[in-house]
Amino acid sequence: MHLRKLGISILGAVFYIFSNMSFADETCMSPYMAKIVGQEDYVYVWTLGVEGLGDEQDKLVTIDVNPKSKTYSKVVSVLSVGGRNEAHHSGLSDDRKYLWAGGLDSNKIFIFDVHTNPRKPSLHKVITDFVEKTGGITGPHTFYALPGRVMVSGLSNNKDNGGRTGLAEYNSKGEFIASHWLPTDGDLRGAKKEGKFADGYGYDVRVQPRRNIMLTSSFTGWSNYMMDFGQMLQDTEAMKRFGNTMVVWDLHTRKPKKVIDVPGAPLEIRCAWGANNNYCFTTTALTSKIWLIYEDKNGEWQGKAVADIGDPAKVPLPVDISITADDKGLWVNTFMDGTARYFDISDPFNPVQTFGEEIGGQVNMISQSWDGKRAYFTPSLLSNWDKDANGDMQWVKLYEWDDEKLELTHQWTVDFYKEKLGRAHQMRFGAYSLYSSKTENNKKDVTLLDK
Amino acid sequence: MSETFFKGNMNKILLVLIFSSIIHFASANELSNYSGPGDNKDGYNSKNYETNSLSLSDRKGKSADLIKFVTLKQLGLPELVIPENNPISRKKIELGKKLFFDRRLSLNNTMSCAMCHVPEQGFTSNEIRTAVGIEGRSNLRNTPTLLNVAYNKFLFHDAREYSLENQVWQPILAHSEMAMPSFGFTLKKLELISGYKKLFEEAFPGEGMNMITFGKAIASYERSLVSANSPFDRWYFGGDETAVSNSVKEGFKIFVGKGNCASCHSIDKSHALFFDNKLHNTGVGYAESMGMLNSKKTLVQLAPGEYVEVDNKIIQSVNQQKRKNDLGLYSITENPSHRWLFRTPSLRNISLTAPYMHNGIFGNLDEVIDFYDQGGFDNELLSPLIKKLNLSKIEKVNLKMFLESLVGENIDILIADALATPVGDLTKNDPNWANKKDMGYNE
Repeated sequence: MHLRKLGISILGAVFYIFSNMSFADETCMSPYMAKIVGQEDYVYVWTLGVEGLGDEQDKLVTIDVNPKSKTYSKVVSVLSVGGRNEAHHSGLSDDRKYLWAGGLDSNKIFIFDVHTNPRKPSLHKVITDFVEKTGGITGPHTFYALPGRVMVSGLSNNKDNGGRTGLAEYNSKGEFIASHWLPTDGDLRGAKKEGKFADGYGYDVRVQPRRNIMLTSSFTGWSNYMMDFGQMLQDTEAMKRFGNTMVVWDLHTRKPKKVIDVPGAPLEIRCAWGANNNYCFTTTALTSKIWLIYEDKNGEWQGKAVADIGDPAKVPLPVDISITADDKGLWVNTFMDGTARYFDISDPFNPVQTFGEEIGGQVNMISQSWDGKRAYFTPSLLSNWDKDANGDMQWVKLYEWDDEKLELTHQWTVDFYKEKLGRAHQMRFGAYSLYSSKTENNKKDVTLLDK
Repeated sequence: MSETFFKGNMNKILLVLIFSSIIHFASANELSNYSGPGDNKDGYNSKNYETNSLSLSDRKGKSADLIKFVTLKQLGLPELVIPENNPISRKKIELGKKLFFDRRLSLNNTMSCAMCHVPEQGFTSNEIRTAVGIEGRSNLRNTPTLLNVAYNKFLFHDAREYSLENQVWQPILAHSEMAMPSFGFTLKKLELISGYKKLFEEAFPGEGMNMITFGKAIASYERSLVSANSPFDRWYFGGDETAVSNSVKEGFKIFVGKGNCASCHSIDKSHALFFDNKLHNTGVGYAESMGMLNSKKTLVQLAPGEYVEVDNKIIQSVNQQKRKNDLGLYSITENPSHRWLFRTPSLRNISLTAPYMHNGIFGNLDEVIDFYDQGGFDNELLSPLIKKLNLSKIEKVNLKMFLESLVGENIDILIADALATPVGDLTKNDPNWANKKDMGYNE
């Protein structure tokens, strides 16, 4: 009996170490990537230019976030990239030396060198021919590292500005490899249409390598994501053009296997880290639900709505989500009421909201440290979806999170309008510990994956 | 009415029949069902909605010789008048078409003419009420179709332009559309894009590329988008009684009779443009300007068959680009009697060009028919031609079926040809600072 308990304990410890050492990144990034397990030094904020503010163009803003630094909580670098490209998401290469950041409007992809001088990134390369090379995919959204590759999910196309789109696969040098179109009724590409929808729309991409699956979600096309949000809500035709699907892909062959109905624009995907946790979460922006995409006992991937987010009738608009490294918690930001909500997902089929706090009049992105103790927030959703002049404030805020007391404690705010920077969108972390300049001390803070 | 007409015009009808058999552009085999949305949302208001989406990568299209649509008369349309200073040619059409689909003709290389005038959406945009321009800038009006635009005496909903050759430049230079900074910058950029200089020299020998030939080229392509010989035309002008159903014929009676639609959407003895080249006040612009269309709550669709009522205060909180009033012809004449006057659109191919009215307020033909049935929106400048109609349910159905019979025979050919045209996207060789190929400043 005692031996059995001991065995379970050892297994548990191994699992804990495995899950943290091998998979837990800053909780939301590719598992094929080195991670920062200690204190991050910088936060890179992909920022949208605003007409009439400063130099009016998109920029990568670097904030010093190491409390031991003299310039802690200050902007230490600003790198303007020309144009308002609809700066949106960014993602690191598998070696974590380069940050890929896309423009949903201009379709340019800016590749920043963040390793030569993590405090002052430089522009390494600009991909200008994304649409031409991919055969018409537009709106490069997610940049997701696979070994030697970056998978880029599109949002739209160059034919009708609608939602039908595809994935674009690049190598880490920034060279185009292939387009993988989302399955439509006209060409399911071998996928099984599980329900009623095969819309061909795209948004996010995530993987669970040990199950050999890749998942994509679906949002809307250029004519909607670039449209004034208030105008769009009143446009009955436009509101028909949202994605209602998720696609399960074979990761190795890049072939779509199954299209699952997930009505109401499923956006961010976060897969569980635990070795036996064969599931991922998403939230639907319009219908305000948490969905679980899971592998059932027969090895089939299924989708199930498992919780409401706030009052769906009030359209709180869930946006960014973030899973904790231990798979027990899920942050869900709701844009309209500016609230960060924490769900207990210990039972993934029954998420329960245990905490909620207003971060600002609007909130979109959250990036948490791998230990979950620090959570950074930004408010901008899309340039034409942010609140009007009465409610539009732009900042980066740091909070400390106590997951026992369920308490967020505000640390500092950088006001992006006061600093004449723009709309603050996605954040990625940088640390000296990742690169050759690491010291003996910070060597402990970095773990490279088995590659 | 049609019977009397036939008896008095038998010789003409025979000639037309012979003629139409010669210019029968598309056999049934050639039609490839390109007309209609690739991303079909019919029935999206129901929980039973199922997608019927087409693959973009498979929509390769098929090139066509468009000049025949300009030079040969199509049944139902009058002879096309070509401007003397811009005779039609294949090379002009091909060059204009290439320009029409070239997204590099916008400041940030994202907007072409075709991004709003989407071929498979009736050369307009079915998916949004009012046009969205560069960087998502809101425009006040629904994108007008370009089908049969060659016959328009006036262009734009407010009739501010008179020739296609001149009209071409306005969207390219408009801040809210394609936002190119000037004529000169646009032409300089084109010169630096591989291939254009030669194409201009071939299309306009001795003239080459300049602001005049640029307008002439795109105008030539737009002028070729002629589409008639519809089922209605084959019945009414061609005398083929089997071309349309009895419902269509009954609907036509309403159209020219009780509905009084033809008083603006004109029909002549030998042809029908279905517009009068005039402007009218239907009350739609008035009602919008006066806030009559506002309500405290808006029904917002979340998913197929799923709706929620949203308080307008919430919607206003995310409405950065507050909508300005649209006063129609008054905007360009400042004549107070011109308030809310908008150009009569043609009804040809109407079932392909939803949503309707200058601001896209009506999503389908049923809503349009209901609007006119109730006599428009009353205002002191309302057109006297618009009155309550008191149409029965069956009369409305027949009227709609008549309108749906106006799709031109060659529409699939026009769309397939458009789909076969490469979209001009930024390449590594094009002028752009990020390509290290600048426009020549400070060199």
